This record gives sequence, C-alpha cells and structure tokens, in this order.
Amino acid sequence: MRIEITKDWCIKMARLEDDYEIGAGAIAVDPVFDGEKAAADTSEQSEPSIAFGRLLRLMRRSQGLSVEKLADDAKVEMEELVGIEEDTHFRPKIRTVYQIATYFNLPQANLLQVARLTTPRDPRLTEEAVRFAARSEPVVALTKEERAALDAFVTVLSERK
Amino acid sequence: MSVTISPVYLFNVERGQPEAAELWDAITDQQLADWEAEWIPELFKALQKLRRAGVERKHWPQSRHWDWRRKAAALQGILAHQGFSVMCNGLTQGMMFVDTTTKRCRVESQKSKNLVYVKFVENAPWNRKELLFDPPRYRGIGSILMRAAVELSHSIGFKGRVGLHSLPQSNGFYANACGMTDLGVDPDPDYSPMRYFEMTSEQAVAFVEKGGKS
Repeated sequence: MRIEITKDWCIKMARLEDDYEIGAGAIAVDPVFDGEKAAADTSEQSEPSIAFGRLLRLMRRSQGLSVEKLADDAKVEMEELVGIEEDTHFRPKIRTVYQIATYFNLPQANLLQVARLTTPRDPRLTEEAVRFAARSEPVVALTKEERAALDAFVTVLSERK
Repeated sequence: MSVTISPVYLFNVERGQPEAAELWDAITDQQLADWEAEWIPELFKALQKLRRAGVERKHWPQSRHWDWRRKAAALQGILAHQGFSVMCNGLTQGMMFVDTTTKRCRVESQKSKNLVYVKFVENAPWNRKELLFDPPRYRGIGSILMRAAVELSHSIGFKGRVGLHSLPQSNGFYANACGMTDLGVDPDPDYSPMRYFEMTSEQAVAFVEKGGKS
C-alpha cells in the first residue's frame, strides 16, 4: 500500500510531535527478556511528596519566575510544574525532575529521592525534607524564614558524599 | 513478503533539518534484526542509566518487555494484522502492528463500527527522551505511523477511524498531537490502567489537515 505524504506534512507534524512518547499496546503480553520480575506497585507510590512541591515553588519564586517562564526555560511541561507544586500525590516524570535539577543546579539523584521516585537511600535527606516541608509556608512573598529554610535545605541537598 | 515503500521525512534533531526516510507497509526480518541488534542494546544502556540514577523499576518504560520478534511470529501469519515500519539512515526508527478485524469503535457517534486498532507501536530507543536520550535522534515517527493507520483505515472503508490503548507516558501524544478522543482508563484487566483513545472520521481529517493538506 503506497501512502503519499508530503515533506511539509512530515516536518510540520514532527515539530508538533516534539519529544512526546508514542508507545501504545497492551503491556503485559511478552515474556520478560532481562530476567527481571515485573515491577509491583507498592503503597509507597501514593505517599505524598510535600517537600518536592514546596522546594520547587520556593526555588522558582526566589528567582522571580512564573510557572510559565520556568516551564519554558527548563523545557518542561507547565502542567507538570503545576502538578508538582499543587498536588502532593502528583507523580512527576523522571525527565521533568532531571530538567528541574539541571536548571537549579541540584544533584539529580537527591532530587529524585525528594520527589519520591527512588527508594530513599539517605534517611537524613528524608528527615530534612520533612523538616523543610514543615518549616516552609507558601505565602506571596518569600520571607526571611522561607529563605533560611530554602537555603538550609538546598545546602543539605547539594552535599555530596 | 511483498513490501511497498513510501518516501517520507523525519526531523533530524541534532542537525536541525529534515532527513529522507521510508515508510514500509510491513515488518520484515530486516526490522526484526535491527530490533535485536540495535534497539535492545540501546534499551539496556538506557535502563542501566535509569538504574544507576536510582530510578525505581516501576517508573521504567513499560514497553521494555516487548519482544517484536515474538509479536511478528504471532501476528504476521494473520491476515487481519499488518505491520508498518519507518526506516531512516539504514536503521529501523519505529514499528507498528495494526489489527483490522477484531476491534470495534467505542465513541458514541461511531459506536460498533469497524476501525483500525493499533495493537503495538514503539519508537527506537534513541528517539525517546524518556530513556534519557537527550536530544533524541529523530522526531516525527509517531505521526507518520499514525498517518499510515489513518490511510489504511480509509483504504479499507473505515473512514479514518483508529483506536488504541496508550502507554501511560504517551497519553499526551494521542490527546494533543493526534487530537484523539480520550475514553479514559479501560476497565478490562488486560489493559488497565491504560487509557483508550479513539480517532473519529472527523478527527482523522483534522489530523491530516494539521500538517497541511497532504
């Protein structure tokens, strides 16, 4: 079956397609090829990540960025940023966390842990994330206390072993 | 196996320009050899990167289990299933199997009518940003394969109607770039928690017109 598709159509649609994932089809129909067991969801998946949303909001506000501007500059979807900031049960995409880490110059692995996308390997970071979430109140202007909380948490987050 | 090849173009991200490619109306040994020798090693590397970054396995791409050779062995002999592939720079960039017989429309306005059901579609690992290939090598594979599904649907009298179950990370593509109707999570345990998307005849026209008249 010959299909006539113009070069212009291909390129225009490629631009619209951007970096979307395109996979479709039933997931569990093939055998596992790498010997791993199928990943089972755990209750951990629904645990809220208050600290990640607060951290993102304060980092963004501290640089005077709107959500839209940050989405543009960090090349992430605005809906993802809103989800992270507003919904403590939102599960961000791994790529989004990577982009945020790169944009704010934060260690990716630590940020993935704070976003609850990885198994907590550093209990101190978890404790600090809880402490940070408790201390930071989302208000219109960044107060001295928020600034102190943000700076303290960023310092912990940026410590490399 | 008789194969018809149609000329198409992909967008080479690194060079920032179009690159000539081919749309094949089949999945042959050549594509399956690429899957084994090129896709799988790249997929493994990507999974290693995710693992080393500490990303939990439940967040890895669900299609990592797919065995295209097995799919081909199971589906190629069935007349109702057809394969499509996109070739560029001597390599397979994307593959799709469609089913033209067993599924029916679910959208109310075209309920129970025939449609082309996209059984499986996948991009080569190096074209996937989610696998940390940044930037991905080529863009546009998904649109060309969807266009193939729409044209097949027209050619067999299904008026452009297409349906599929999207992998969770691909919902945006089918809802936004393709303009399909999102019918929500399929309660069928074989598909849950995947969302079912359907393209109506009108949406098929809009999809084609989105990229210009042809």
